[in-house]
Amino acid sequence: MLAADSVLLHHTDPVPLHKPVSEPKRRFEQLVLPHFDAAYNLARWLTRNDHDAQDVVQEAVLRAFRFFDGLRGEARPWLLSIVRNTFLTWLQINRPADTVGFDDGLVELIPSDEDGPEVLAARSFDRKMLNEAIAALPLQFREALILRELEDLSYKDIARITDVPMGTVMSRLARARRLLAESLGALSNISGTQVHK
Amino acid sequence: MTREEANRLLHAYIDGELDPAKTLELEAHLAENPSVRAACERLREMSAAIRDKADYHAAPAWLEARVRAAIPAERKDASARPIRWRWLTPAGAMAADWLRPAASFAAVALVTWVVALGTMRPGEDERITQEVLASHVRATLANRFYDVASSDQHTVKPWLSARLAFSPPVADLSASGFELAGGRLDYIGAQPVAVLVYKRRAHLIDVFVWPVEAQKTEQTLARDGFNIERFAKNGMGFWLVSDLNRNELDDFARLLAEQGAAP
Repeated sequence: MLAADSVLLHHTDPVPLHKPVSEPKRRFEQLVLPHFDAAYNLARWLTRNDHDAQDVVQEAVLRAFRFFDGLRGEARPWLLSIVRNTFLTWLQINRPADTVGFDDGLVELIPSDEDGPEVLAARSFDRKMLNEAIAALPLQFREALILRELEDLSYKDIARITDVPMGTVMSRLARARRLLAESLGALSNISGTQVHK
Repeated sequence: MTREEANRLLHAYIDGELDPAKTLELEAHLAENPSVRAACERLREMSAAIRDKADYHAAPAWLEARVRAAIPAERKDASARPIRWRWLTPAGAMAADWLRPAASFAAVALVTWVVALGTMRPGEDERITQEVLASHVRATLANRFYDVASSDQHTVKPWLSARLAFSPPVADLSASGFELAGGRLDYIGAQPVAVLVYKRRAHLIDVFVWPVEAQKTEQTLARDGFNIERFAKNGMGFWLVSDLNRNELDDFARLLAEQGAAP
């Protein structure tokens, strides 16, 4: 019996049918797994490739199950905070050089937007340019932007997930949008498109 | 408000995160400064473009199946320390250490509570749907639909405006067979809102109105035998709840959006 189970569990089939699904697992599936896409989307934007995103999400969801008792409030931001932590661990092991970029010192070094956000007209860039420009943002700005614009989370939730004060969330978002505007402006210049200044 | 401060606050403003006092201050500044207003518009455009054009990576179906299968049927290390939100101050964290034995009992209670809650409120929209529905049902049960009973829009509107931080649009749709019956106040989505009550034959229609940041898409749904409809126009969100049939409620929503949503 045991041997059969362990063979089955290493398979990619669903849980063995002869075994009833446990109560915590069922609750976890109801409460947390509806946010699987959100978890994947965040992991995909953090790792910037499918393969690593798959690894990070799988690890994060299994961790989430182990720490299910720690769930307070809404499941989606809670799961996303675990995805992010799992990603940071993954990053330290697999891409230690990239963790250097994850430093907020950068935010303080750069003067604030004195003359206002000069965002170019949004119509002037296409989908591909936009996706590439977001992917090129430094990690802390990219994650703030994705959590805000694609997951539609509040500053409060983003602050909890990224473990920084709400003021930092605001300045990171401002910085993310400005960097994006600048890089899209540069891209449009290269491709000869009209840029709003 | 200085220009620098206005520019700094624009992000929180377009994200709907600015408190009401600062919002008023900033809007006054925007009214006077076309260049800051233009910057605000460009920011909004950029935000909309990201939402519209950036890839949302949905998980491949096989990955979810694989992960589901990998979740053990039983949790072996239930003693593992739960990941907590790290919003605790150092003092709070110490208190949490000190309280840990009690916390494990509390955690069980909380998980039960969260599960019960989770089935009730999967999202913001769902929660508001339930709240407006509950308000409508409560009013029916208590037979108390209005705080101000009047078919005159010029009576209902000032009464509501005097008690809210905004002035809800109140339309006269009697020519189309929807009589205004009155208005009341309620508390939906953690804020005070206006409820306009219209009458169609023996049916009452509750119209919940409050200011919203984003233009949400229109939506219709049916719940517990009631029809619910929502739309947003001119910065106001409208939620309609009634036992009126779907077709007539649709007509009403359209009329309201055309005539009634003007400030």
